[in-house]
This record gives sequence, C-alpha cells and structure tokens, in this order.
Amino acid sequence: MSRSARLALANMAGGIASYASKKLKVGRGETIKGRVILVIDPKAISKLARDRDIVLVSGTNGKTTTTANLAKILALGTDEEVSTSAHGANMAAGIVATLASKPRNRFVVLECDELYLPTIYNLVAPKVIVLLNLSRDQLHRTGEVRKVAALWQKTFNRDDVTLIIDRDDPFLEFAVMDAGHVIRVTFGGRRHPDAATCPNCSTILDWTLGDYQCKCGLGSKLAQVRGGKGLTGPSRNAILAIEAARLMGAIVPVEYQNELTANPPDRTQVFNIAGRTIETRLAKNPESWRVGLTALAAPQIILALNARGIDGLDTSWLWDINYTELLGKEVICVGERKLDIAYRLSVQGIKVKTADSFAQAVSQFDNRSIEAVASYTAFQDLITTELGISAKRGVTR
Amino acid sequence: MSLVIVRIYHDLLGTYGDQGNAEVLIHRAKARGVDVELVEVTPGMAIPRQGNLYLLGGGEDGPQTASLDLMKEDGGLTAAVQSGATVFAVCAGFQVIGTTLPGHGGKIIDGLGLVDAKTIVNAAPRSVGELVVQPTNKSLPILTGFENHQGLTDIGDGVTPLGQVLSGVGNGFNKTEGVWQGNVIGTYMHGPGLARNPELADAILESALGTKLTSFTDPFAQALANERRSTLIR
Ligand SMILES: [Zn+2]
Repeated sequence: MSRSARLALANMAGGIASYASKKLKVGRGETIKGRVILVIDPKAISKLARDRDIVLVSGTNGKTTTTANLAKILALGTDEEVSTSAHGANMAAGIVATLASKPRNRFVVLECDELYLPTIYNLVAPKVIVLLNLSRDQLHRTGEVRKVAALWQKTFNRDDVTLIIDRDDPFLEFAVMDAGHVIRVTFGGRRHPDAATCPNCSTILDWTLGDYQCKCGLGSKLAQVRGGKGLTGPSRNAILAIEAARLMGAIVPVEYQNELTANPPDRTQVFNIAGRTIETRLAKNPESWRVGLTALAAPQIILALNARGIDGLDTSWLWDINYTELLGKEVICVGERKLDIAYRLSVQGIKVKTADSFAQAVSQFDNRSIEAVASYTAFQDLITTELGISAKRGVTR
Repeated sequence: MSLVIVRIYHDLLGTYGDQGNAEVLIHRAKARGVDVELVEVTPGMAIPRQGNLYLLGGGEDGPQTASLDLMKEDGGLTAAVQSGATVFAVCAGFQVIGTTLPGHGGKIIDGLGLVDAKTIVNAAPRSVGELVVQPTNKSLPILTGFENHQGLTDIGDGVTPLGQVLSGVGNGFNKTEGVWQGNVIGTYMHGPGLARNPELADAILESALGTKLTSFTDPFAQALANERRSTLIR
C-alpha cells in the first residue's frame, strides 16, 4: 500500500474512531479536548459562540458530509476561514472544541446530533439551521421519529434564526410549523417511508401523487427554492448546503454548484482485502442501506452486518428494504448478524451465502469485481480487526 | 390447498419490519405447495372478510390510533375472526386487538376486543431489547424476538398467553408474553417474530389452514432461529 493510501486510510479510520468514540461514550482527541474545556468553563459554548456567525446542520442522514461541504462552500464563497466540526463530533464536547480552536473565525459550521439540537440552538444563537431529513434511525436509540420531530417543533417557536428545510419531508415541515423564518426547498415531492400519517394531526396522508398535503394545512406552504426531481439524498443535501451558504453571504459559482450536486461526495472507502480492491460503503441506518444498495454496480457483493449499539440492536428493518437490485448478483453475508440478512435475502430469491470474514468471502468469489456494504461496527471491525489498521496510530499491526 | 393472507395497513402498522412476517408465511406455505394469495389492505380499502390469516404489525402511537379507527369503522376483521379466521398481531397491532389501550395522547380507548387484553402505559422507561419466551404450546421450541414498546398488557384470568418470559419484559404482568386465544395470536416480538421462529410461523399456518403441514427445513431460517436461541439462552 502506498504511503498516501495508508495516510488516507488512517485519516478515515481516525474519523470513524472519533465518531464511534462519541457514540460509545469513549472520549478521544477533539472530544477529550472539548471535555477538558467544559470542565474548566461550563459556559464555554455560549461564550465562544458570542458575536460569531454560526450555522447548525442536523438530520438523520448526511450531517457529516453536508457540514463539511457547507464549510467548504462558505470558505470559497466568502474568502474567509471557516471553523467546522471535526468528523462527526456533534455533541457538546466536539462543538466546544471546534469553537475554541480558532475563536477569531467569524464563520462556524457545526454538525449537531438530532436530540442535542435544541440545547445547542439555545447555547450558540445560530444565524441559520439546516434540517436535512428525519427518518427512522436505530429504533432503540431515539425511539420514534415522531418524537424527534415533536421535540424540534417545541424548540423552533421563535424568529431569531432562519431554518432551511427540505419541505418534502413532512416531519421537517411539522418541526418548523411555529418557526418565524423558514426557507423551504422542494425537490418535487417524494414518498416518505415513515410518514403514513400526518406528524401534526395523525390523519392518514395521501401520497398517491407523490407528495403530501394534509387537511390540517401541513404541506400547503409554498417552497422558495426548487431543486431537481429525483435527486439522490447527497445531492439534495448539497443543495440545502448551498442555500445556507448563500444566506450567510457566500457567492456560489454555478459551476461549483453543478459539480457538487452532480457528484456529491460519497461515504465509500476502497480497501485491499485478500488481494482484491473492494469499494466498501458505510451504511448507518435503514435509509443509508437503501441508498447504498441502489449504488452497487459489481456482480459480487459482500454485506456485513452487526447489531451492536450504534448499528441498531434490532435487525427487523432488514425486512423493510427491497433488495431487487441484488437479484442476479452473488451475495455473501458476513458479520455477527449475517444470518438475519442472509435469510431475508434468500426469502426474496437472492443467491446468498455466508462467510466468517471479508477475506473468507473474497476467497469464495471469482475474479469479477466485488463491492461491499457494511454497518457501522462491521465497517470498523473490517478496518481495525481484519485489516489490522489501528484507528489510533494509523499503522499496520 | 389455498390460503388467503390479508396484511392490514402495513403503511400504518409496519414501522418495525413486521411486514416480513407475511414474506415468511408465504415462503413457508409455498414450500408445502399451498396456493397463497396476499391481499394488501390500504387505508380506504375494505378489509376482506373471507381471508384465512390476518396480519397486523407494530406502529407509532398516531398511526396506531388511526388504524384502529379505520378497523372499527370497517368491521371486516371482527367479522372474519367470528367466522374462524386466524390473526397474528404484533406490538401496536397486539394492543389494538385487545379490549382497551392508550390512544394517541394517552387517554384509554376501546380496542377491537378480539382478545381479553388491557394495555396501559408503563410508567417505567420503554421496554427495549431481546425477548426470550417459553411457549405455552409444548410442541414449540423456545421463541425469541426483539421487543420495543411503552405499553404493558394485562391478559384476562384464564386467557392463555403465547408463553412465559424467560428474559425481557413481554406483557409486563405475571411474566406472561402475548396471547393465544382461539385463533387469535398477539405478541410483542419483532424481529420479525416469524423470521426468527419458523416453528411458530408453521403453527400459525396450520391454524389458518386448519390442517397439519408436512415438515420443511429452510437451512437459513433454521440457522437464524438456532443462532438467536443459542446466543440468548446462556
Ligand atoms: Zn395534518
């Protein structure tokens, strides 16, 4: 492996570790730094946020990528340095560390955990909040998607911030129902998999035309911005980021905008596994599995599934996904819950086997190309245990 | 042999993967040469009264109340049960087929009354985790599933539970889990429950068809059931 590839891998692994350390409550790096700051000064967040132009980014999918994109667009479009969250550090400690690192930067773009968003909104007085989407995350963690939406709805009842939302998501439209300033972006409407009923009044929503409009009025407000119909999640998020950057005063060149929405950065990583080059995609929740499966091009696929905390303890969601894209491909399942996914696929008539590791799966395939999708800890296990790359030191064991 | 499976409002009662129960039942019935028809009932559609097996899944509070209102108005499920149809209802679906349950907002409302089961709101935190059950029906092996519910369900005296809780919460009363009254089965087990317990899937098919099935071993189904059992029974 070349030095640069290893470095890239180490960076990626480091990012994973910092994200996981937050979720698993094992502090490292930025998080430790932030904790130290908060111990010394519990009011540090609001002090460091004073007189700065802050944007918060939250939602179920794409927070980390969108935060990074938005920081980049804002820096390019304003010619100023922008402070932004370390990879996925979206709770108090990570946020305070970001604010503290370059306290003279005027612009700050912060990723924020969905449940923590109300607290941080009140602490930092942001100019803009970007709400990307709300869908089922790991069910055992946030409870029901409606509860997150209701928490936001109770929070956003003032006019001291501008909210940018994808109004095609009824949970977001509900969340900003009482908000003072909202910029609604539409992508032409699309069926939301978790919104059979209205988040506001529980009436059954009519999705037959691919959009919703409840008799209580939810969904009837016009959108100010129109994005293209049929865009993927990452492209939609890129458009929301561009709107936020514009609102903060950035000039976004059309070419840059086109490039960003046509080729949004993807959460995949290329690994060398048992002598084969395998593009591996990280899938954190049902929606990102859906997106990940539709992007697969190779004829041979490895699916890696665990069900530890951050992956979601309950694997029932496997049955909510349609695996038509896998028909005709050869699939090998690995991970602690390989049987859950293998059985699900076999019932849909997909040719499937299981293996005890990625390497063992690779050895069962022929020389045609291979791609992989892995749940959070399965991805981590691949990097640290199977490929032997230490997330901490970035060196091969 | 033919079987009509009716899946009720899976848009409303399908938040927890329970629609997988239908896929499993169809797969296992077809393997025995049974002709299966799946009827998807969506809101606004009448619930057919001639089905053999009716499936209800889990859902969030709002959709649960909305689906209960629709089923009360329709009357189809109640009529089908009176003429001997089998019902398999999970979580919010289980609560809905009982006598009373908390409606959207917490007020206690009437359920469909297909089984003697009263659901209340648990003051303790939500019951979330793996559930292991010793079934009442001695011909079944240990059952496993994943529970995720705020309600607790008190089944009436003399009403047969699906089983006794070995670990987890289940109904939350007297270590009971679920209900099996006549041809109506309720449970808190997601997973989906029938994907993780092929023997229970077969028992439900036999109830719906009114006949014994030939044996059938699906290697992945059995491996999954065994893996869950051996991991959770320690
Ligand atoms: Zn409404």
